[in-house]
Amino acid sequence: MAAAAVMNGNASSADWEGRYYHVDQILDRPGPRTDPSFLAGDEVKDFLRNKCKILVIGAGGLGCEILANLALSGFKDIHVIDMDTIDISNLNRQFLFRPKDVGKSKAIVAAEFIMNRVPGVKVTPYFGKIQDKDEDYYMQFNLVICGLDSVEARRWINATLVNMVDPENPESLKPLIDGGTEGFKGQARVILPTVTSCYECSLDMLNKPTAFPICTIANTPRLPEHCIEWASVLEWPRVHGDKKMDTDNPEHIQWLYEVALRRAQEFKIEGVTYSLTQGVVKNIIPAIASTNAIIAASCCNEAFKIATSSAAYLNNYFMLIGTDGVYSYTFEHEKREDCPVCGGEALDITISKEWTVDRLIEMLVERQDIQIKKPSLSTPGTHIYFQAPPQLEEATRPNLEKKVSELVPDGGEITVTATTLPFSLSLRVKYT
Amino acid sequence: MSHKESQNIEQATTTVTTSQPDDKTRRYDRQLRIWAASGQAALESSRVLVLSSSATSTSILKNLVLPGIGHFSILDATVTTPADAGNNFFLHARESIGKPRAQEAVPLLRELNESVQGEAVFKDVKELLGTEQGRDWLTGFSIVIAHNLDKPTLEELSTLLWSNPNGPPLVAVRSAGFLAEFHIQYHEHCVSQTHSDTAPSLRITRPFPALLEWARSLDLQDMDPTNHGHIPFVVILVKLVDEWRQSHDGNLPKTAAEKKEFKSKILALKIKPDEENFDEAEAQAWRVWSEPAVPSDVQALFALPPLPSTSNAHTPEKHATFHALLDTLAEFTKDPSGPGTLPLSATLPDMKSDTESYVRLQNLYRQWAEVEKNKFKELFKAKHPQLADSANPEEVDTFVKNSHHLRVLRGKQWGAFDKDREAVANSLMMAPRETATHLGLSALTNLLSSDASKVTEDALRSEVQSIVGEGVDLPEELDAAIGEIARAPTADLPNMAAFLGGLVAQEAIKMITEQYVPLNGYCVVDLVDSWTGVIG
Repeated sequence: MAAAAVMNGNASSADWEGRYYHVDQILDRPGPRTDPSFLAGDEVKDFLRNKCKILVIGAGGLGCEILANLALSGFKDIHVIDMDTIDISNLNRQFLFRPKDVGKSKAIVAAEFIMNRVPGVKVTPYFGKIQDKDEDYYMQFNLVICGLDSVEARRWINATLVNMVDPENPESLKPLIDGGTEGFKGQARVILPTVTSCYECSLDMLNKPTAFPICTIANTPRLPEHCIEWASVLEWPRVHGDKKMDTDNPEHIQWLYEVALRRAQEFKIEGVTYSLTQGVVKNIIPAIASTNAIIAASCCNEAFKIATSSAAYLNNYFMLIGTDGVYSYTFEHEKREDCPVCGGEALDITISKEWTVDRLIEMLVERQDIQIKKPSLSTPGTHIYFQAPPQLEEATRPNLEKKVSELVPDGGEITVTATTLPFSLSLRVKYT
Repeated sequence: MSHKESQNIEQATTTVTTSQPDDKTRRYDRQLRIWAASGQAALESSRVLVLSSSATSTSILKNLVLPGIGHFSILDATVTTPADAGNNFFLHARESIGKPRAQEAVPLLRELNESVQGEAVFKDVKELLGTEQGRDWLTGFSIVIAHNLDKPTLEELSTLLWSNPNGPPLVAVRSAGFLAEFHIQYHEHCVSQTHSDTAPSLRITRPFPALLEWARSLDLQDMDPTNHGHIPFVVILVKLVDEWRQSHDGNLPKTAAEKKEFKSKILALKIKPDEENFDEAEAQAWRVWSEPAVPSDVQALFALPPLPSTSNAHTPEKHATFHALLDTLAEFTKDPSGPGTLPLSATLPDMKSDTESYVRLQNLYRQWAEVEKNKFKELFKAKHPQLADSANPEEVDTFVKNSHHLRVLRGKQWGAFDKDREAVANSLMMAPRETATHLGLSALTNLLSSDASKVTEDALRSEVQSIVGEGVDLPEELDAAIGEIARAPTADLPNMAAFLGGLVAQEAIKMITEQYVPLNGYCVVDLVDSWTGVIG
């Protein structure tokens, strides 16, 4: 799928005298907070402009900004991955895209735009999923910057980079810089896999997604959102059977909107609109250019400082809230010893002796610091429950009704895996 | 421009009933969820002036053109240098060198959003400041933004804009390498749509008649069990408070023991252990520990002194209605025939309840909120007949709806902080790194006005000392700041430009839309240790 990267002139012929007047003020001499290892002058410039290879994950709201900043800062070998195509609702902030680009690959259009605008920079796009690539691929980069809107994808890349660390080989440690925004709020952080707190360590900082109890949706709707959930969760499968709902299909949204509106009218509930319907079923996060610019700039600034050692880098979390004045908070997020990705220690959980396997699974899905969808469970000797393949699922299904305490002794360990996550979680179970 | 356009978008976002949204609504969908059609309309009728087309300036503009301001002008009398071509994304790299910089930048900014107009003005601001016509032009914008303007010019510009109470706010941005700051100059900024997260009072201890009537009419002992488990907690609490008052001389539960007793009364009403509405009532019992007071932030606005006469300014005309509404609100809370507090909010949180009870409760709140709003409007008309006639009804509605979260900010002229030695000395103690960085940048601005080659650490330190006054101890944080400034005194780094581009545009959007709360003072940025702070 990836378009071939086109070099628009090699690096030396594309440069001009004075091109790096601004950046070179930083690279030619250290500042008071610069590490002594900083190699001011030609050496650091040569590394940045001729040797450093950086990967950008996501070519959306943050990704467009990140690519432009990196190119202007002097990174010349940039790779970008994005599986999405351009939608009209991207154009209010994803500034490398125009109306004529709607429907095309974000990664490819963004890469071409940057190469046209900033001479001598090579951007290699990949139109696809990060999961398509293996460790050999990720090993080629010096740094990785993420501008993603998906928790799942972040967990995947985080775990992959942590797994790649080989203590014998310092090159195997790839700094990961992660940014995220929502409305006027955002955060940027630096993760040194196995050294600092990782993405998984901070999973409990995420906002809990709003979930409405099914009985409210079915029996006592009060809010317009309840009517919309009724349309999408209950009515769609009832009416359309196996036909999959596509939240990008305007006809599907229109159908949901009309069904939700009728239900709202029946119950005299106000406020169901097309826009709200779309917001609820697609879980739309409000987004603007300015917040993305701030967070992407912070990410790229950290990448620049790490790549050049020209100044200390962020340790390790920058949080911004722009709703009331300009408020930000910079702090060190601490590693979790029982982090399933970088901690090494089993997570202690205490549950009732009466809990069934099914109840335990429900907890694993819900707990903020775990959040594993469709987990499979085993102990060193036995399969407790497996989601796949079908034969194994069928064979282990009767265990769902059994008590955990019948299958695992007090203090025993359960290994939890999920196909979407490249790591396993060890639970040490105690009973009350 | 686009009165017509802004109406279109307003209609498109409020009346999508049968058809899908148009292209424009789809394009702006993610931001309309933040500032709605009214914020969008304000943006679309705004005119922004930016002085210089540096990397920072074009980054700021990019983040204003994308969401759809009406018009922008770039005032810049320079031609593109090789350095500009290297750090500015909105130039044609090497091809732009030697050509007027703003003229090169404008088309590349305009292509971000076809509905935005823009122009390059190849003139020097000093020249415009020197003529009547030029000064009129400079004051005719919604907001003026200046990046790295030299000190004498910035002083003259800030004085011009400050002298006119109806003139535009001025955003003055200064950056050098990893350090930067910006200040917004305005006399006053009034916001009713602050989008605060705190919910307004439900007024459970002072229920309006229809709500009290409902609560009193309930016979909890003899009631259908299903209905019993679905009474909204608001009604439960209203009923219990009413009963409590009758047996406690009209008082609310005060002591810890009384509060505990009140809570146990709630739970004692359960007829089944799983009645979640009663659990909710117990969890929400704190709502009845006190009477619904006017929030202290709003109360303070009732006693707001007039703008200081030294600033030589009157209340800006555009705020006349806001102040008249504020005055009416103060009157409303004091009116003996009124609720003794702010008008009731029609917004109800979700709660355990069946549909019918919830919708009934919601309607009661809506109807009574309407009653109090009408009362407010009568008062408004009586106290301020002229303004009540001319005021936009939507502005009045928005004001009443948001009366729990109103904010009025009083600003300062650019540079006033540096002249107030007591304030600077205080700030050095309270926020040493932010103040030190600010002073370092002020010193840089002073030094650059004479000779760029003079920017050394020693020169910066002695300049800082002369700003704060002899005898004031300078914190060690100053070394970190002036060391970085001396390292890169004229560097407009791409990442800093992008960072400021986001921050400044965001504050400009808050100023223009009069939604959310903008910066008051200086925002100082350090991208070595990655922090921001506000002083002054």
